[in-house]
Order: sequence, then C-alpha cells, then structure tokens
Amino acid sequence: MPSSDSEDFESADEGQEENDKKVRKKRTSSSNYGDNALETISEPKETIKSSARHQTDSKPKSDGWDDFDIDCPIENEKVVENKEMKKCNVSKSKEDIKSQDTGWDDFDDWGNEETLIKTTEQKQQEVKSDKDIKELTDKLAASTVQSSSWGWGWGVDSLLSSATAGITSITSQVSQGISNVLETGIGAPDPEELARKNLKATAEVTEKHPDRNVNDDKEVVKEAAQTSSDDVSFPFGSLLSGVTKFVETTGTKVIAGGLDTLETIGKKTMEVLQDGDPGLAKKRAMLGLDPGEKPVLSQILREAKAKADEEDKIREEKREAKEVHYENLFDDFEGLVHLEALEMLSKQVSMRIEERLRAADPEKKQDIKETMQQVIELCEIPEDEDDEETSEDQSKPDAFHEKLQIATQDLGLKLQFQSLVKQYTDILDFLSSNDSMNEKVIYKRAVSSLAQATALSVEIYHKTAEMLLVKTRRSTADEADALTQMTVVLTKHISELATLFTVKLNSIASGNKDQINNYITNIFLESGNSSTYIQNAFQLTLPILQIGAV
Amino acid sequence: MAYAYLFKYIIIGDTGVGKSCLLLQFTDKRFQPVHDLTIGVEFGARMITIDGKQIKLQIWDTAGQEAFRSITRSYYRGAAGALLVYDITRRDTFNHLTTWLEDARQHSNSNMVIMLIGNKSDLESRREVKKEEGEAFAREHGLVFMETSAKTAANVEEAFINTAKEIYEKIQEGVFDINNEANGIKIGPQHSAAGGAGGAGGAGAGGAAGGGCC
Repeated sequence: MPSSDSEDFESADEGQEENDKKVRKKRTSSSNYGDNALETISEPKETIKSSARHQTDSKPKSDGWDDFDIDCPIENEKVVENKEMKKCNVSKSKEDIKSQDTGWDDFDDWGNEETLIKTTEQKQQEVKSDKDIKELTDKLAASTVQSSSWGWGWGVDSLLSSATAGITSITSQVSQGISNVLETGIGAPDPEELARKNLKATAEVTEKHPDRNVNDDKEVVKEAAQTSSDDVSFPFGSLLSGVTKFVETTGTKVIAGGLDTLETIGKKTMEVLQDGDPGLAKKRAMLGLDPGEKPVLSQILREAKAKADEEDKIREEKREAKEVHYENLFDDFEGLVHLEALEMLSKQVSMRIEERLRAADPEKKQDIKETMQQVIELCEIPEDEDDEETSEDQSKPDAFHEKLQIATQDLGLKLQFQSLVKQYTDILDFLSSNDSMNEKVIYKRAVSSLAQATALSVEIYHKTAEMLLVKTRRSTADEADALTQMTVVLTKHISELATLFTVKLNSIASGNKDQINNYITNIFLESGNSSTYIQNAFQLTLPILQIGAV
Repeated sequence: MAYAYLFKYIIIGDTGVGKSCLLLQFTDKRFQPVHDLTIGVEFGARMITIDGKQIKLQIWDTAGQEAFRSITRSYYRGAAGALLVYDITRRDTFNHLTTWLEDARQHSNSNMVIMLIGNKSDLESRREVKKEEGEAFAREHGLVFMETSAKTAANVEEAFINTAKEIYEKIQEGVFDINNEANGIKIGPQHSAAGGAGGAGGAGAGGAAGGGCC
C-alpha cells in the first residue's frame, strides 16, 4: 500500500477505476454496451433513478456499504476542491492537479473507447455528468453483484462489515462533521467541471493499468479485494449530485484533514485485513469462506452454542466439585486455622517439655518420661464398648450435649458445646423435613455437615488446650480421661451423622442408584476423614496434658 | 473461596483496647459494645482486593490478658502483618506498647508489617494519649500509624487494607518469600496448582522467590 498522501489519492482513484473497468468488461461481454450508452444519454433521468435503485439493491448485502457511502462523496469532493481552488496551500493538492492534468491527455482515448457519442456541447456535457454519476453507481452495483457471484464477496463483505463496524463510529462522526462543512460552507461546483474531473480521474488510472483488463480470475478476485478497500472512492456518485449543490469554496483544510483521516482508516482496515496475507487467501481459508464451501451461518452458530454449553457445563461441574470439597469446607468453617493454631501450641509446649527434660537430673528425667508415657496410655481410645442407651424422653441433641458434658466434667473447664449441639439439631430438622430432596442436595449437606462438625470439634480441642495451659491447678489423669471420653463421643457423633445421611439417601426411591451408592461411599469416606482430624486434634493436645504433669 | 494470596494478621495489645471490636467491625461491619473476653485466640477472615488480586486476610485476634501472654506469643509466628492496638483513653495501654513491640519482634519474622493503632478515637473527651504521641512512637519504631474507632468504623477498613497493601508491596519487591509459609503468606489454591500468576509476579520482582512452588 502506498503511504504518501499523493499516492493515497491515486489509490483511491484506482479503486474507482477498477470498478469502472469491471463494469466495462461486463458490458462488453454482454455486447449491448453501445445501446446502453445511447440509452443513458437519451434518458439520463431514468438511468439515474435506476442507478439509485441499484445502489439500494446493493446495500443490504453488507452493512459496510452504508458507511462507505458516507465517506465517498467527501473523497470525491476533495478532488474537486483541489482542482477548483488552486490557492489551496496543501502541497499534495498540487500533485493531484498534476496527475489530473495528465489525465486530460488520456481523456480522449478513454472517451472514444467508452462513449460512442461525444459532443463538445455544454448541454451534453451536463448530461454526461449525470451519466457519470449513473455509471459510478452502476459500477457500485455491478461490483457488488460481481463479487457476490464470485463467491467471495461474502467474505470480504463480512470482513469489511466487521472491520467497518469498528470504525463506523469514527467515520460517521468525521463525515458528519465534514458534510456539515460541505453543506454550509462550500458552493456548488460547475457540473461540467465535475464531469471532466471524474472522467479524468478514471482515465488516468485506466492508463496506468492497461494490463488489468485481462479477464483473469485471480486478478478479478484480487481486484475485488482491493476494490473493497477502496470502495470508499466510488459510491460518491449517487450522493454527489445532492451534496455538491451545497459546496462552496471554504473549509479546504478541514476537509483535507478529515479526508486524510478517512483514508487512513480505510487503508488501515485493509492493511489489518491483509496483514501478511495478500488477497486474504489465508484468512478466507481460516474462516472457511473459500468458494465452493460457503459456510452456513446457522451451523456456525449452532456449533458455537454447543461449544459454549459444553464449557458452561464443565465450569458448573468444577464449581460444584469445589462446593462439596471436604477440605475447602473444613477450611471455610475455620477448622483448618484452629488445627493450625493447636499445632503451634502443641509444638511450643513440646519444646518446653524437652527443655525441662534437658534441664532435669538423670533421675528426674526418668520420672518425667514415665509420667509422659502414662499420660499417653491414659489417652488410648478404649475399644468399642457397648452403646449405652439414651433415655427415651430426651431428644438426640440433648442426649449428645449431656454426653459431652458428662465426659468433660472432670476437666475443670467451662467448655462451649452449643454450636455443635445446634448444628446437630439443624441436621435432624433438615433430614426429617418432608420436602422432597434429590440425592445431590442431601449429599452436599452431608459433606458440609461433616466438615462443620469436624471444624467445631477441632475448635473445642483448641480451646481446651488454651484453657488447660492457663489453668492454675492441673490434674492430668482426670484431664486425660475426660479428653479421651470426649474424643469417643465426638467420633461417635461423626459416624452417627454419616449414618443419618446415608439412611436418608437410601430412602430415596427415585434417583440414580449408582450415583446414590457413589454418594454413600463418599460420605463414609469423609466421615473417616473427619474422625482422623478429630483424633489428630486429640493427639496434638497430648503435650498440653503432659506438661501439666511434669 | 478462591484467592490469590492469604495474609496472616495478628492483632495484639492490652486487654480491653478494642482488638476484637476492630475485627468484628472489619469482618462483619458491626459494633458490639460488650464483648466476651477473648480466650487464647479467635479468628476472622475477609476477602479484599489489591491490585486486582483477591487477597484473603486471615486475622488472629489474640487475647490481651496477661495470663494468655505465653499462649498468644506462640501464635505470632507466621504472621505477615500485625495490628498493635492501644486505647487513646488509657495511657497505660500506650505505655505498654514497647513490651508488646519487643514481644512481636522477638517471636515473629523480621519482615512483619506492624501497624500501630490508637483505637477509640470517637471518645475524644476522654483522650489521654495525644495523636502526636502515637505518631512519634510509630516514627521512632518504624511503624505505620493510624487512629481508629471500632465504634464508628472510622479508619478501620484503612487500617487493615493499608497493612495488606504494604505487605503486597513487599511481595512485589521480593522482600517476602511467598513460598515460605513462615512469612504468613500463602498462595491461593488456584495459583499453587498452576505455578501461579501471583507466584510468577513475586518471582519476577524478587529473584529469591523462585519458580515452582510446593
């Protein structure tokens, strides 16, 4: 792509010209070109109408066109301006004029070729200007039709429309501003002048690329690509007649700046599209837009939707897996941090015991070791003793609370079991409710309940350890016994909870049996996990018991 | 909940200065005039966002009573930040600051960010410790200083969040080794799995942080 401003203009003209050529080609092939020309002259008004129709026809093919339509008249306006106002001090305008001058030389040739009847009369010139307009719009329509017929217009159009969608806001704003200037500040140019200029411009480019008239498929495709980038330059015809009426001789600079911006945007868009891919071959292949295998939009959308659904499902599953993740729940219920704190305390106390051991006489040392061993033995969890029956007039949570209090009464501490008891009550309420629940809800609640009960239990061990450490009078044997009993009660509570939930799961008549069995296995697994946490907490409390004895 | 980092905080200071109230105000946005004496340590947690990253503050609210001193000391280890609180209406709580500070410095890692807080700023009429005194103490010992009110919530958010920002900056500077949990910083679960954007950031800033965590 040319980069200098003067070249920009050429490229813009080129686009126009190329379309021109295509139209010509088309006409030649249909061999009614002459008639067409005559017709044009004899019925200029009608042709304009028809061209207008052409344009409307072409519009729905792509949104992009609309934007370009706005840009184009301005583009053309600039050429007019440059020519008309030689005082214009923009340096590139001079070059434009120069190139246009050369265009004049070729004009005759082009005119001969293009128009059978060419008069020098003013009137006819005017008609011709109309005809030019018509031609340009014709070209626009033709090029659109043509590109579509080549099967790739879709691609360009869609690419363009997506590209233009991005710049639409900019261009529409800019062009709006400019058309304001145009309408208010710029006088109408001589139609004759306009017509000449159009011809000149087209002629010039034709001359530059005579070889392009070869009817080569590839070339056409390539041209079409370029055309699309330069579309900017030709649809102005339809709007030209309207807009130019208001054109006056001011505001050149504003227009020049605006037009430069527009051109830069257009070129940049094409550059982006063509980035390292002349002819957009790869991009079209990537988008599956190659001729012959046009994609079905609905299919693409269907596939996209299916993909999105799949991703959503995976995300949802992950989220749910996290939701019923025991360790996460245990952490959320502050079980982990209590365990961590208890660990720190336990370590600290163990170090203090070791210090005492080191400082002690060899004889005393043995005593200390024996005492510590005794404490460990006291804390051994007894083998399953027969389940004592709970009295019938007591609710399960109350019985549980009582057991905990009885177990810890010799501890000499005021421990708080309310949260554990309340949780138990809530669970029983949940399980006895008659609301129909699916297995998943029950399973989630089961894992969460186990994690919470464990976290609360660990907190009790942590608090017990802290309080034992600040206790003034220690009775290690009683404490050890109490804590052992408490551990038994707590671990039994955990397995009781697990059983309650699995019974509930088994009671579900409907539902996936495999899934339910899977859930039940997991619940027992997590209840084992919970018991392990509780036993660990108990073991961490041992040094705190021992230090009371040594 | 998913987080990029977890910072462990400790709140220390004399009993009755409002440590638990500060925590409650920060985590629950409420004030409870009568509070049970804290036994050992209580916990609170809240998620904050710094530099677009989710950070979980795990706050260890320690008991201020002298009896628990030996216990609470064992919790200092592994804290990334500390709020050292005194009561502006009780000069003795201000006078004890030096002891608290020595304790904290001795039992925690040297990089721990310490924020000095003069609490109960709403009780202006009963003020015994001038704001300038707090500022001077903080300057002298290299602490950040702030006066707060757990009752009116004035500066409470700022106290916790500014401390977190300071810790975060230290991570970026590479002062904290985020892979050493003794520093009171843990990398969030989603990060430890993948090697972590947070981990990479820390490693980039401070060479010591190293690449693969865990």
